Amino acid sequence: MSTTTAPATVDTSAPGVPLSRLVRVEVRKAFDTRAGFWFSTSILILCALALTFFVSFVPIDTLTFTNSTGVAGGVLGYFLPIIPILLVTSEWGQRTGLVTFTLEPRRSRVVLAKFAAGVIISLAVIVVAFALAAGILGIGSVFRDGSVDWSISGHLIFNFVLSNVIGVFLGFAIAMLLMNSPAAIVGYFVYSLVLPIVVGIVSGLVEWFRDLAPWIEFNTAQNPLFTGDMSPTGEEWAQLATSGLIWLVLPLTFGVLRLLKSEVK
Amino acid sequence: MITVQNLSKSYGSFRAVDDVSFTCRPGAVTGFLGPNGAGKSTTMRIIAGLTPQDSGQALVSGVPYREVPNPGTQVGVLLDASAQHAGRTGREILTIGARTMGLPLTRVDEMLELVSLTDSESKRRVRNYSLGMRQRLGIAHALLGDPKILMLDEPANGLDPAGIHWMRSLLREYANRGGTVLLSSHLLHEIQIIADEIIVIGNGKIVRQGSKDELLDAAGTYVQAEDPSALARALTAAGLTASPQGQGLATEATPLEVGRAAAAAGVVLVELRKADGEGLEEMFLQLTAPNQRDQFTNGVPA
Ligand SMILES: Nc1ncnc2c1ncn2[C@@H]1O[C@H](COP(=O)(O)OP(=O)(O)OP(=O)(O)O)[C@@H](O)[C@H]1O
Ligand SMILES: [Mg+2]
Repeated sequence: MSTTTAPATVDTSAPGVPLSRLVRVEVRKAFDTRAGFWFSTSILILCALALTFFVSFVPIDTLTFTNSTGVAGGVLGYFLPIIPILLVTSEWGQRTGLVTFTLEPRRSRVVLAKFAAGVIISLAVIVVAFALAAGILGIGSVFRDGSVDWSISGHLIFNFVLSNVIGVFLGFAIAMLLMNSPAAIVGYFVYSLVLPIVVGIVSGLVEWFRDLAPWIEFNTAQNPLFTGDMSPTGEEWAQLATSGLIWLVLPLTFGVLRLLKSEVK
Repeated sequence: MITVQNLSKSYGSFRAVDDVSFTCRPGAVTGFLGPNGAGKSTTMRIIAGLTPQDSGQALVSGVPYREVPNPGTQVGVLLDASAQHAGRTGREILTIGARTMGLPLTRVDEMLELVSLTDSESKRRVRNYSLGMRQRLGIAHALLGDPKILMLDEPANGLDPAGIHWMRSLLREYANRGGTVLLSSHLLHEIQIIADEIIVIGNGKIVRQGSKDELLDAAGTYVQAEDPSALARALTAAGLTASPQGQGLATEATPLEVGRAAAAAGVVLVELRKADGEGLEEMFLQLTAPNQRDQFTNGVPA
């Protein structure tokens, strides 16, 4: 067979895939399966249930907008980081990485897009959770006698968003490190539930460890964000930085470097 | 154009791809043939930049795949039709591809139609797709960005005979328009149907390459006579070596040479024909047998 057209060549000056498009695709991929859609939806349903329970049964004079958002935040704190985990690990569990990295071989951009998508989705979920807290508290206050304190500090909102973004970051880092959905989810719960207990016990027994803990344990280091006057001191920010380096930056760096060199199959 | 030069890749001490070199030219369908585990997929993953090679290089039109901007629109790749999220619909998978490449969504419908996936099938989740439907979806995905170069790993796997012929005409037409096609298979007859050029790989090494006609011509002659021993004597007298095969003899000589030798000796022939791939088939079977590499690379009949 002879060719009828000039041999095809590759156009190296064609525009690459813009990052914004990759981010949009990643957001879409988080919702286009039943599992993905229902995961985000379930988090919000769980938020609504917890809020309804809280608003119905807590003594009316202690019911405030601040502690209602705290309830929503508690639910999000546990489950929100699983969104970025699934975003990353499904590429390996379902082997879609084969297609993803064929369409965008610049792997670091895929990582960046996934991170951005994780943050965008999480922020959206946070906004909806805030709206749920306001809505359910509003409805509750109609049915219950007494008035509700609607004040909320900008500080609190900031810390609420910050802690959830840290959570998303953390889920992302663990997922990049482990590359496997069940392992990453278990890893995240070990980090967020088991580790603080162990650190607490050891700190109670070993004095030098109590001083060291906030420097190396990220949960402990985050406490000043949510307790007391909620404004960490210089030293506490430094502790956030060192423990954050250990728990966020190191696994993420390791995970990304490995991905850049590894074989996708 | 796909150019592979001295490509090698080892997993531990195992050499999956061993100094492989070949070229796929535009306007032709190049078949990459080899038994299970020969290194076809590994080679193709290296070409697509998914597996790093140890040495050598793989280029598409002179450029490493990773440097091709928006590669989906220039090089269509199907590496594993089942490597898709089982929970997505076929249409959604194409939509994600089209969005990534920045294509209008009408491309999705065009491709679905091209590979004969109906509207209702396209809305089914891939979990519920048959093997052939997955292959068709994978082919649609590879063609989505209207690339000039195509690389398909076992695309005919799971297709029914009609599907294989459909793919042959699809790829034929594609190549006639100047496209480059590399496709792999572990079935000789599939490759015989679809490809113009054949590259045979075994145990990570290229063992044969050339046009289909060359390889089939090289496969020799099958001849059967009324009196087999008279035929054997006639061939020996003419200086041709032959070995028994079925009821007749197989030889590397051409049908013309064999016919002349038989005529000269007055031997009555019952059948005389080109071996038609039987030699290739035999070579291929040898490849498939374990630990045959040395015997094979040293002493295969030409
Ligand atoms: N990550 C890996 N670790 C170890 N061995 C590997 C790895 N990947 C591939 N191999 C080996 O490399 C060899 C070539 O595999 P490859 O998938 O390229 O074969 P293939 O020609 O595509 O076979 P098939 O026709 O079965 O698809 C096989 O023996 C395989 O086991
Ligand atoms: Mg293979």
